[in-house]
Amino acid sequence: MLGFVEEIVLLQLDDTRGGLAELPLSAADIVLAGAAVMELALLNRIDSDLQHLFVVDPSPTGDAMLDDVLARLAPDGAEDGAKDGAELNAELNATAAVERITGQADAYRREALQRLVAKGILREENGRHFWVFRTRRYPVIDDREQREVKARLRQLLLTDEIPDPHDVVLICLIEACDLLGLVLSADEIARTKTRVEQLSRLDLIGQAVTRAVAEIRFIIRHATSAIY
Amino acid sequence: MEFTQDEAGGVTTVRLAGRLDSSAAPAAEDSFGHLLGGGAPRLAVDLSQLEYISSAGLRVLLVVARKVQQANGKVVLFGLRPNVREVFSVSGFDKIFAIEADAAGAAAAALR
Repeated sequence: MLGFVEEIVLLQLDDTRGGLAELPLSAADIVLAGAAVMELALLNRIDSDLQHLFVVDPSPTGDAMLDDVLARLAPDGAEDGAKDGAELNAELNATAAVERITGQADAYRREALQRLVAKGILREENGRHFWVFRTRRYPVIDDREQREVKARLRQLLLTDEIPDPHDVVLICLIEACDLLGLVLSADEIARTKTRVEQLSRLDLIGQAVTRAVAEIRFIIRHATSAIY
Repeated sequence: MEFTQDEAGGVTTVRLAGRLDSSAAPAAEDSFGHLLGGGAPRLAVDLSQLEYISSAGLRVLLVVARKVQQANGKVVLFGLRPNVREVFSVSGFDKIFAIEADAAGAAAAALR
């Protein structure tokens, strides 16, 4: 099973070009950071409520990428159990946690791509554009994972089935990336708008990711209209 | 967190008291798991003594709701304190669960 960071990077890949789907880079970074933070939540390393996000267990997960995220969220002294997570993280909330990780998103994205290559899901192709610029693309060579995730999400969105927490995170991420078109037709997207909104709200960290991405889209839209 | 249960009239009433957070979630998940072993469960969950619920606690309840749905059963919550109700409202869990004001209403709704 893939982690959320790998899963969202894989879903963002354009099957035909092997490049990442169009999304403002800052928004893509927020989604990726959110994926890592939500993964730690499902591993019971962090917990959150309406006001705060706490590192409740700073012990390593065994995954270098997630452990790096955890170390960036855990304040000094958390590992030796000097204080509990709630006390140490009194100022941290879900939005601040995602923002704190966003600066590392590009490194995590490259790591996720390498992992997907190592697992035989992607192939790395290096080339040159106009014989000058180096290019790298990642065609999908085993699309079973992509197909399974898309089928599961489709089933959830088109029925009244209650999702499991893992699927809630995926729906949050895919909606934040504006990638619903990967699993639903335009008609289905229009028909399931309320359902998507409802399921996306079920994860409090996911809500923070969706809000942050919406703010970036708003800023870009208004900056663009000011230019033209 | 305390987890107690009793059964009357075909409905199992579960009472959660204290804090349902990451430290209490695994035990709560286990306790609910024993209840959902077979048949179509009819659950009324008393949250009147639940002081706090975090994301980890919400996930436990989401898994319960999913399993009950898969077993063609029914789960109804009642007695939510204002702070817990606010968490349910912000997260949209109030759209996933049937919520009643009291035990009698929850038991009746669980059998419908």
